[in-house]
Amino acid sequence: MGIQDVFPKTLFTIYGIPVKDTVVHTSIVVAILSALAIWANGNFRTWDPPKWQLLLEYIVEYIENLIDNMGGRAFPDVVSFLTTMILFVGIANLLGALPVFQAPTRSLNTTIAFALVSLGATHYFGVKRQGGLEYLKSLASPVIMLPMNLLSMVSRTLSMALRLFGNIVAGEIIVAVFFMLLPVLGPLPMSLLSMLTSVLQALVFTVLTLVYIIDATGSMRGSSSSSEGTAEV
Amino acid sequence: MAPDQLFRFSIITTVGVLVTIVLGTITAALMEGRAVAKAFENMARQPSVADTIQALLLIVLAILESTAIYVLLVCLVFLFANPFSGVFGL
Repeated sequence: MGIQDVFPKTLFTIYGIPVKDTVVHTSIVVAILSALAIWANGNFRTWDPPKWQLLLEYIVEYIENLIDNMGGRAFPDVVSFLTTMILFVGIANLLGALPVFQAPTRSLNTTIAFALVSLGATHYFGVKRQGGLEYLKSLASPVIMLPMNLLSMVSRTLSMALRLFGNIVAGEIIVAVFFMLLPVLGPLPMSLLSMLTSVLQALVFTVLTLVYIIDATGSMRGSSSSSEGTAEV
Repeated sequence: MAPDQLFRFSIITTVGVLVTIVLGTITAALMEGRAVAKAFENMARQPSVADTIQALLLIVLAILESTAIYVLLVCLVFLFANPFSGVFGL
């Protein structure tokens, strides 16, 4: 493993389109999460829950507490979206710690895709909670703020993508440099540090998405007239 | 491009990247230190909300850390994919 392994390589081409290894590894993460979801959907028990179910319930409850602390309301669709996001980004970041795999988020294209999903979800939940016209009106509530809002969408998407990409790549480069210096046990503490960073960055990505969703949906706390979603913590 | 010119280009790029990453990490580290100092001060003053402060502190530190990461990204771009290398025909 040299410093060149940090950057993604082309595995094969389909009709002249190069397919990088990040695409393959992202598909592996999707397969893992889909299999886990299908398997867990058939095997959960309401009485005497097994340990894996307690773990998944802990993650969902953590997200609900997070939404409550940030001043929003834990609607079921927002909770499921954010839980999927933290699991997906977290597993994608942690995949680099396994021997054969490498983290797909060490390519800027993957993180830009994640950030675009986050941006789309912000608009989706804003339109869904407020209505299309109201949401457009809230973007330009003073008209002078309209270019600022449009600019902030671009800049925050870019900053989320660059933050995730930079953290993962920095971890990989530090591990590669320590591997060149001291190949046996040298990269171990740096690898542990980059695993901590991976989990933390998945959390930060989710929290920032949550903050933008709450910002787009208005103050969700006051709108208790909505009949949907009673999962308030 | 002459080898002399290539040599000078590499030296200038490397020195510029070194100065950039030193200055960038110094500011990020100083400001993170201020945030941590304030957080610990208030955790000692009000231990009942220490858990909330600690959870928020981790998130805020990760966001502050990303300013240093941006500096690293700029340095990586200038080391591995220098946009001005095309001007010199590298």
